[in-house]
Amino acid sequence: MTAPLEAPADAAPETVLAGAGAKAIEGRSLGQIAWMRLRRDKVAMAGGIVIIFLILVAIIGPFLVQDPTIYHNNLINPTFSRPNGPLGGISAAHPLGVEPVTGRDMLSRVVNGARVSLLIAFLATALAVVIGVVMGVIAGYFGGWGDAVIARLMDIFLAFPLLVFAIALVGVMPNSAFGLSGNGLRIWLLVFIIGFFAWPYMGRIIRGQTLSLREREFVDAARSLGARGPYVLFRELLPNLWGPILVYSTLLIPTNILFEAALSYLGVGIIPPQPTWGGMLSDAVSGGYYAIDPMFMIIPGFAIFITVLAFNLFGDGLRDALDPRSR
Amino acid sequence: MRRRRTIGLAAFSGITALVLAACGSGGSPSPSPTSGGYNAAISSVVAPSSHKGGTITYSQSSVPDSTDPGNTYYAFNWNFTRLYATPLMTYKSCPGTCGLQVVPGLAAAPGTVSSDGLTWTYHIKPNMKFSDGTPITSADVKYAIERTFAKDVLVNGPSYWQILLAGNAAKYKGPYKDPKGDLTSVDTPDPTTIVFHLAKPFADMNYVAAIPQTAPVPKAKDKGANYQLNPISSGPYMFQSYQLNKQYTLVKNPNWNPALNPQVKQLADKIVVNLNANANDIDNRLIAGGIQMDQAGTGVQSAARARILSSPSLKASSDDPITGFLWFEYINTKVPPLNNVHCRMAVMYAANKTTLQNAYGGPYGGDIASTAMPPNIVGFQKFDLYHALSKPGGDPASAKQQLAACGHPSGFTTGMAYRSDRPRDTAAAQALQAALAPVGIKLQLHGYPSGTYYSNYAGVPAYVHSHDLGIATGGWGADWPDAWGWFQSLVAGNAIASAGNTNIGELNDPVVNSALDKMQAPGVSQAEKNTLANQINTQVMKDAVMLPAVYAKALLYRSPDLTNVVVQPYYGMYDYGTLGTK
Repeated sequence: MTAPLEAPADAAPETVLAGAGAKAIEGRSLGQIAWMRLRRDKVAMAGGIVIIFLILVAIIGPFLVQDPTIYHNNLINPTFSRPNGPLGGISAAHPLGVEPVTGRDMLSRVVNGARVSLLIAFLATALAVVIGVVMGVIAGYFGGWGDAVIARLMDIFLAFPLLVFAIALVGVMPNSAFGLSGNGLRIWLLVFIIGFFAWPYMGRIIRGQTLSLREREFVDAARSLGARGPYVLFRELLPNLWGPILVYSTLLIPTNILFEAALSYLGVGIIPPQPTWGGMLSDAVSGGYYAIDPMFMIIPGFAIFITVLAFNLFGDGLRDALDPRSR
Repeated sequence: MRRRRTIGLAAFSGITALVLAACGSGGSPSPSPTSGGYNAAISSVVAPSSHKGGTITYSQSSVPDSTDPGNTYYAFNWNFTRLYATPLMTYKSCPGTCGLQVVPGLAAAPGTVSSDGLTWTYHIKPNMKFSDGTPITSADVKYAIERTFAKDVLVNGPSYWQILLAGNAAKYKGPYKDPKGDLTSVDTPDPTTIVFHLAKPFADMNYVAAIPQTAPVPKAKDKGANYQLNPISSGPYMFQSYQLNKQYTLVKNPNWNPALNPQVKQLADKIVVNLNANANDIDNRLIAGGIQMDQAGTGVQSAARARILSSPSLKASSDDPITGFLWFEYINTKVPPLNNVHCRMAVMYAANKTTLQNAYGGPYGGDIASTAMPPNIVGFQKFDLYHALSKPGGDPASAKQQLAACGHPSGFTTGMAYRSDRPRDTAAAQALQAALAPVGIKLQLHGYPSGTYYSNYAGVPAYVHSHDLGIATGGWGADWPDAWGWFQSLVAGNAIASAGNTNIGELNDPVVNSALDKMQAPGVSQAEKNTLANQINTQVMKDAVMLPAVYAKALLYRSPDLTNVVVQPYYGMYDYGTLGTK
């Protein structure tokens, strides 16, 4: 971190490192230092608060709003297919208005959409991180032909025409498989498609980090004391990899949200009438309803925008906090 | 028909009969003067004029499947190609029921049929010329039909000739692969006579002769699929230039003889067609006056619709004709429990026709349908078996009775296929799902890409059965205005195919099958055909294999720059053959 030439009036100096002040000097772990840094990054904290809010909405929101599949024909002007009243039919009963054509409540659709979009993004990210870390560590630590094979594998995955594959896979998928059916199956299918093809991004970063870490003195020291592979991997390398894993997971989530939205937009995402943000955007754009009822596009678009922005800001802040040199 | 290849009729109640033979070479109707107004061009010719000169600019948001008259299946293109390609027969240019008559084009008179119904003879008008000055002979018509057999080169048109003709029609591969071969079932005994020998009697031959595939093509000038870049004209205009996927321009044909086809006119000096334009931009420029016509003829986008309908002056320059297309949902007769007719009837009763109408674009997108064919097919009689008109919100009480009769009093679960890249299909599937849920019928929706919907999914009975797809969205426009043309592909038992199936309900009802066969028997009278048409329509509804949603309509904007504007009911859009500019 470069020291500011001129300290802003409201920013405290590097009290953490300097240990200045009346309190007694106490030892702090790396995690505590990172947390102190993160807490002072107001933008990142704002992003974090938004993320917590979104997660709460996704978990408990659907229980608080009305059924998103109920039609309200009386709220629609059939001649123009658009909601009666200004701003997409905003009213006390429908705080975000209603959908054109059907009159379904927008608030409940956005809230229910948050649940699906975030669920898929989190699960897909978790899958990508698990595969990416395992493959990255193996490639980076053991090297040799294993590294070569895994590196080429990552190239293949990165060059794969994913959208075409996703469209084809969703098309041939039966109604029910593995004891799941309908959207239950579709969610896992999307998690698999998104997660299974996002791991090389994580894998490459982890491989690079592992390559540099394994040559470090503390690893040599552990080895010279007789430590074997698993011990070095889990006790020496992995704790030092948590930073990048956390940061890149946070940055992978918004990518996956956008990817889920893109798949829904292409019609291979979640099956209607279950709302998703991408599906709502798709309805607004492909039906041309954005032109007669802009709110229909603005609301899900804003939800995606806020979510992606919050995760990106928080992820950036987290990276700065964990690894100040990268700033 | 599945895409915009909608060839059909506009809605006119009280159609009595379609007079074919007595028409002779009917001239243009004397246009009745009119000052315009909403729907004015549906019942009269707006701004009649014989003023010559000027340029008419068309735009469309996509591209034609081909500008070759032998290689196209879009309704707008069957309308537009008449400007440079005259088929044997054509439709009369006039509003209302008058426009449903098929009248001679290149032919001197409608075809004559032998007593056994197997031989049709046409005589073409003598001393007519192509745009390059060479004479048009019956051999050019025969060659035009022969080349449509090359389905690997000219992929788009319909395949009626392959089905209808006798001789080697089933295995003939067209003149490109088989240059020495000959279509043995078409004779040209002299330069003005062409004789068709059919495999079995077919009474609707004059309709088939009105498909653009019969427009003459000189063999020496044919370039296969690339013939579309400069088709030799047999109409009032000819190609000047063609930038593929961008623009093509037509200019006056110097060798045009107005007697060749009285249904089209040579008024404007030039016709420009812009391709791949933005759909909303087309509407804006149409209203602002930069262009005169949306070539696709499928109606304005929702933004322009709101603008036109909320402005009295713009609304007075618009028409909302029925396009001849029917939006409906197939109900399968083989997927349990829908193999029981009472379960299918429960779906018919429970469906909310108002939400379905909204899904298909609201009252300006179509009228609520209560029958399996649109009101403008010849022989139509109105009835309302499932209370679609009296109870448009659905009839759950009757639905519950039918469910009890079916043995599923608390409802059942089935799948529904729809085209997920089509907003209206998607909206309709959700509307039906929401409407059926209260009576206990649970629909599981399955979206498929529209490009492979018929070839890989809903049109493959084995897939439908294994995936339990009891209901599927569909849309249809007939190739000619007759109940046989409407129903044959949709409900005939012999139309069920293992892939690309259009009888998705898999109906194989002897009453329907025999009535369809009787319609093409030799010597069948128009009155008998009308009775049969109504019989089929009623039986299909009783069998409950098609849940009709709306008789589609398209809101068209009528540019004030144009003269002789009239909705041609067969095409369901403005007649492109007679337009002039002020």
